[in-house]
Amino acid sequence: MIYLDNAATTKPDLQALERAGEFLNDNYFNPSALYKEGFALQCALKQSREKLVSYIGDAFSYDLTFTSCGTEADNTAVFGYARRGNAVTSAGEHAAVLSAFSELKNRGVAEPRYAPLKKSGGVDEDKLLAMIDDKTSFVSVMHVNNETGAVNDIAAIAKRVKAKNPRVVFHSDGVQAYGKIPFRLTDDIDLYSVSAHKIGGIKGTGALIRKKSLAFRPYIFGGGQESGRRSGTENVFGIKAFEYAAERKFSFLQADAARVAALRERLFSLLDKRIFIRLSPPDASPYILSVSAQGCRGEILLHMADDRGLLIGTGSACSSNAKARYSRVILACGYNESVADGVLRLSFSPLTTEAEAEESALILNDCARELLCRTK
Amino acid sequence: MQKVIIIRYSELFLKGKNKGYFERAFFTNIERALKGYAHTLRRPVGRYIVADFKEEETEKIMRALKKVFGAHTLAVGYETSSKADDIFEAAKRVCAASGTFKVEAHRGDKKYPLTSIEIAREIGGRLLSANPDLTVDVHTPECVVRVDIRENGEALVCGEEAEGAGGMPVGTGGKGLLLLSGGIDSPVAGHMMAKRGMKVDCLHFHSYPYTNEQAKEKVKDLAKILSAYTQGTKLSVVSVTHIQEAIHEKCAPELMITLLRRFMYRIAERRAKTIGAQCLITGESLGQVASQTIEGITSSNAVVTLPVLRPLIGFDKNEIIDRSVKMGAYETSILPFEDCCTVFLPDFPAIRPKLSFIEEEEKKLDVEGLVTEALSSTEIFSF
Repeated sequence: MIYLDNAATTKPDLQALERAGEFLNDNYFNPSALYKEGFALQCALKQSREKLVSYIGDAFSYDLTFTSCGTEADNTAVFGYARRGNAVTSAGEHAAVLSAFSELKNRGVAEPRYAPLKKSGGVDEDKLLAMIDDKTSFVSVMHVNNETGAVNDIAAIAKRVKAKNPRVVFHSDGVQAYGKIPFRLTDDIDLYSVSAHKIGGIKGTGALIRKKSLAFRPYIFGGGQESGRRSGTENVFGIKAFEYAAERKFSFLQADAARVAALRERLFSLLDKRIFIRLSPPDASPYILSVSAQGCRGEILLHMADDRGLLIGTGSACSSNAKARYSRVILACGYNESVADGVLRLSFSPLTTEAEAEESALILNDCARELLCRTK
Repeated sequence: MQKVIIIRYSELFLKGKNKGYFERAFFTNIERALKGYAHTLRRPVGRYIVADFKEEETEKIMRALKKVFGAHTLAVGYETSSKADDIFEAAKRVCAASGTFKVEAHRGDKKYPLTSIEIAREIGGRLLSANPDLTVDVHTPECVVRVDIRENGEALVCGEEAEGAGGMPVGTGGKGLLLLSGGIDSPVAGHMMAKRGMKVDCLHFHSYPYTNEQAKEKVKDLAKILSAYTQGTKLSVVSVTHIQEAIHEKCAPELMITLLRRFMYRIAERRAKTIGAQCLITGESLGQVASQTIEGITSSNAVVTLPVLRPLIGFDKNEIIDRSVKMGAYETSILPFEDCCTVFLPDFPAIRPKLSFIEEEEKKLDVEGLVTEALSSTEIFSF
């Protein structure tokens, strides 16, 4: 089996899981317990918090609150900081942000505004800026697009946003960027969402990184864990696995990115260009390659590739509901429905080998040719 | 005094000499619905009594019984001796503590010392004395206490009666094969035929890789929901991928749906004969989609000899949705997994296809070969 759906989730880092195993087997206590075993876990969590922040920012200026996933981190940001007036985001955001923005409207909290995308998949910065006024309370722009891999220069965008309205809280969904592309948080970025299972951690662990000067507004209330910022007993094993997986990821980040970029190019070079067109921009995250198979439906190709042992993703779903059938992001980039219908997302990990990339291209070529023949 | 559930049956009382056959089938179906619950089931004249069940499972048992066709009403009550003191004790338990009430009595044992009216007066009077917040209202009472004096020296006492599923016991109306698509209509069609006593098995067509595994899983879920009403069901799943590809390659595009449906009917008839089903059942409703015109129906019927039952033919979509919600299938039916991929769908399907044109186009295909191949892909799931 060849796994090229790493943007959906990555294979857990077994070494990280093994190291974190003590927090499942021996140190299973509740970190809020008052005996010393509980306190030891609080210290262990503090260490994870600081280390996970340190990879992209300094622990003096930023702290980190653990959540159950990236979606919860995004929701915490949106519902915690969007206030009366309006809130601005991009049309290419992950559903965790987009659906939360729709809910802002449903609840009468704020008027959601959606900035269009450029053909490359990145947000149109000028149009985003034009939407911001003195009534804007919150802006959210994703770092790396989960469908196309397009990278938004969020440091520059945040700077321009703050220059126009310094009171805005700026959030970025960094789930597809953290541990994958080089980046440091800047003073203009207030909130940043991350997720463990995209970099070798396990599902059920995410975090919201926050600039300390910004008052935290909790989304979940209860026993007061995470200094009252996110109640609910911490998933110590998941958090430690996240820390250890991130440690390995960030140690090899540059080298991995370069190697994966080469694999991506190798794979694309072998695809039949009479069928496949590239949707990811050249400067996209090396981990994501979005292509469209012209004349094919992405989901059918996905099933055919699956039968040949290649697991990939797609932005489309075989549904009579036109809204759901086509990738929302690809349409927002300005592509037509025919291109959106054939979208495939190939996403890599440092574990992907050159042989796998080459084999994948051959399988995709075969499947697409066969499908075109069967449906011509 | 023992807590019991009293089941009264619906149309069975209309039956003559073969009433016993229907009653036995109903008995078996109730037993099947209560599989897994500790209980005993008895059949005194004119009703069924579920007893010896766990108090905490009463609600679950009632829910299961509400899915058994043939039941007119269901009521939780008490079985007691026919002594007035015991009847009163039971009546206290089923009667509301306040508001209006009346007592209805029925005397199966005509040797009982009191008449029905005297029983009602006696028990009603005692309830009034025991509970000052109650008042009698014989016309529109908030609570009705029903007392049924049996011939064996016992009495049944119950309060509110819940509506049963109605209809006839499943298994008494033959066996049909339901074409189960995964939408809203076909589970309702199966439910309606089961209500008239028909044993229903299901047949689903898929076209992987043009459709996905989730669509198949959704149909399995629907078959499972339906099986609670149909006393179990067997779901056959057949691939029509190659048939769709062959039609797409060789025939007029506007006939894709018409021709595919004819194949589906042929396959269904073969399958029905294999499993001993005497008819096909579909969820078609006249004019709902392009293939459900009278011409479309005629062209499908032309390839089979078994009767095709279409219980929803005169129903509006809203009526079908209401029934789907009631039977508990709606939430599953609207999950967004298509059973038929839109890749092969023509922009303008033929709405009133002529049979001669259809048959001409069909000659381009190896009909027998394609049907046999499709049938060889049959997978069977039991619920």
